[in-house]
Amino acid sequence: MFVRIFQNAIRKNNLCSQPLVIKNIAGAGGTIGSRTARDAEADGHTILCLHDGIYTAQHYGNADWGPADFEPIAATGRSGVVVAVEEDSPYSSLSELMQEANQRPYQLVYGTNLGAPNHYSALFLQKGKPGAKFRFTQTGGGAKRLAQLKGGHIDLTGFSVAEYQQFKDAGIKALASLGEEREPSFPNLPTAKEENIEATHSLIQFWWAPKGTSKDKISYLQNLLKRAMVTDEIKDQFKNLHMEPIVYVGEDLIHAIKQRSKRLQGITLEKPTPMPPLEWIVLIVAGVCVFFAYRENKTV
Amino acid sequence: MIDLFASPSILGLVLLGTALGITVGAIPGLTGTMLIALSLPLTFSMEPVNGLVLLVAMYVGAVSGGLISATLLRMPGTPAAIMTTLDGFPMATSGKPGRALGLGVGASLIGGLISWLALWQLAEPMADLSTKLGPFELFSMVILALAMLAGVGDSTRARGLLAGSLGVLVAMPGMHPASGELRWTFGFTFMNEGFRLIPVLIGMFAIGKILQDLTSKDGKVEQVSGNDSAWIALSVWISNLSNLIRSSAIGTFIGILPGIGANIGSLAAYMAAKRASKKPDKFGNGSEEGIIASEAANNATVGGALIPLISLGIPGSVIGAVLLGALIVHGLQPGPLLFRQNPEAVHAIIGTVLVSNLMMFMIMISCAKWISKLSSIPKKILFPLVTGCCIWGAYALNGMWFDVSVMLLFGIIGWRMEKAKLPLAAFVIGFVLAPIAEENLCAGIMASGGSYLPLLTRPISLCLLITAIALIIWKRKSKETNTNHSPS
Repeated sequence: MFVRIFQNAIRKNNLCSQPLVIKNIAGAGGTIGSRTARDAEADGHTILCLHDGIYTAQHYGNADWGPADFEPIAATGRSGVVVAVEEDSPYSSLSELMQEANQRPYQLVYGTNLGAPNHYSALFLQKGKPGAKFRFTQTGGGAKRLAQLKGGHIDLTGFSVAEYQQFKDAGIKALASLGEEREPSFPNLPTAKEENIEATHSLIQFWWAPKGTSKDKISYLQNLLKRAMVTDEIKDQFKNLHMEPIVYVGEDLIHAIKQRSKRLQGITLEKPTPMPPLEWIVLIVAGVCVFFAYRENKTV
Repeated sequence: MIDLFASPSILGLVLLGTALGITVGAIPGLTGTMLIALSLPLTFSMEPVNGLVLLVAMYVGAVSGGLISATLLRMPGTPAAIMTTLDGFPMATSGKPGRALGLGVGASLIGGLISWLALWQLAEPMADLSTKLGPFELFSMVILALAMLAGVGDSTRARGLLAGSLGVLVAMPGMHPASGELRWTFGFTFMNEGFRLIPVLIGMFAIGKILQDLTSKDGKVEQVSGNDSAWIALSVWISNLSNLIRSSAIGTFIGILPGIGANIGSLAAYMAAKRASKKPDKFGNGSEEGIIASEAANNATVGGALIPLISLGIPGSVIGAVLLGALIVHGLQPGPLLFRQNPEAVHAIIGTVLVSNLMMFMIMISCAKWISKLSSIPKKILFPLVTGCCIWGAYALNGMWFDVSVMLLFGIIGWRMEKAKLPLAAFVIGFVLAPIAEENLCAGIMASGGSYLPLLTRPISLCLLITAIALIIWKRKSKETNTNHSPS
């Protein structure tokens, strides 16, 4: 979706002699896509666009590769993140809620997508208020989190600013944003920092090239992205998606990548609730069925 | 709403979208999701209303088109048409392909219209109701579906269960649906997402069927022939009225639930129809009621899926999620305020469901004669063509050859399973339901801090489980009485 906006802008403004071909490799938190791009030929024709998932998948242990296995091209666009509760929730501010999470740890149910950036927003929040602990549950994408929040099945969850903008009239309220500054779309919403919770998080869209891609190829791509970012198409779409049109290349980019990797290192994962070993149960059931089907065959 | 659809350009878009949707729906391997995702960028430059009309029409067409290949070739063009193969194909091979198509198309229309009514009148209260279902309720609902599964096809219980649990096992590799950890991937990244539905499905049904026909020893191939009319008498519809209404209601409701799509909707309706039927043994052998239930329900899921989308901004299906993206790109905010802020967009969506269903019916009925000729294409032309489409479809999904190999592998598995008399439908249902069940059970356990108790203490969940158990006991009972009455 995000890249299609660029495709459209580049095509309309004739910024590139070659068409931009998008291969949307869905699934497994972007790890299949990032793996494909990592193994692609370093000729500058195959590049990857992925948000913070590239950091979190490595940290969570679902990918043994990460930012260090790519040549960074640029970062374009930042989405803020908010923490939200149901409209009638007893908590009216983030500090109240975190106080509760501190006094009664593991009681507030936080709906996330485990291993995805959304999960890490919550981990940063926990870290920002020492002693506070949430009970994490797998809820899935933004729409599912909204439904579960509305139905009272989870106590709180995180949304990107764009998601919150869409969902806010459905009966939920944001308590705080996790930016360094207040979100321009929601100037009345305090940041976590203002509530004395030392936590910041946001989603940045990064562009990566396979390791070994030549310098001029990278600078060509950087230029292309920079020129796309000033087109009206991109400006309009970023506004619709409530994304801040940042562009990082060179030193700024290296700094942003280092900072993001470093912040993750401070996060330790706790052992999750043990899951029922359904795969083995079903394996046994299948075995028993094979036995019966076999016996049936003999009698018939 | 009426003046909107009086414009020829809008009607042209509905016609175009519906026809394209039917086409991709009918081709095994190409899905409506693919079509809509590819068309989405084209709508960026259109007026928002025009873009929405086109996309929604594609959605309706794609769900409907699957019945063509399901009926004539026993290859579901879309996952939504799996259940249609069970009765559509036997009816078509018994010399009534026109009637089978006519029943499917007519039921699709009625299912579409009933869910349109629901969308139009009940959008808000129904969307609210659906949020009451938490992970435990959804898990219990899947258990209920599995309890119904015990009756798929005409095979024995052990074989049905075996096929179902094999399907569940095949769903296991990849990312754990709840914890996000990797399982049974053997260190291969391309296994991280496990086996995807589309390659598995088209492999089992399309490639498997081709292998079966190619290897049948006596050269006898089940051939669809006949040239009967697709017009179904009104009296048939009247006698199936309760089936139509029940199936459409089930389809609409399942469509509302996020993450559960048209395939489950048609499954649930099929099972319910079989339970309610006076002739349950006809199911799987060309039952009219079976075709009607499956097709009414899968079209009804479209209206259902749009209910939470426009009233809450919650997509009820994958395509719903893409449509949500389309709304946002066009600067429209789905949610309760959409009705007030952009009534024309809401009307366009709701109206398109109606108009597109009507056009679908007209296109498919007027082409039915011509479509049913499809099956008289010689196999030596048809098979390479279908195989080509399957490979293309599997590859286009993600641009990965892995998906193509998965499809071919499951072609062989499907062919062998058919030989061993293991029901394919039970396999696919196990495959589709397992991740949903696991995700919700695990999510529930995580939220409850490790306790399974809410399965029994939450009223909706308890009711669903009791119904599931009652179904199993009742089935045993009825089986016993059957065997007592009929000496065999």
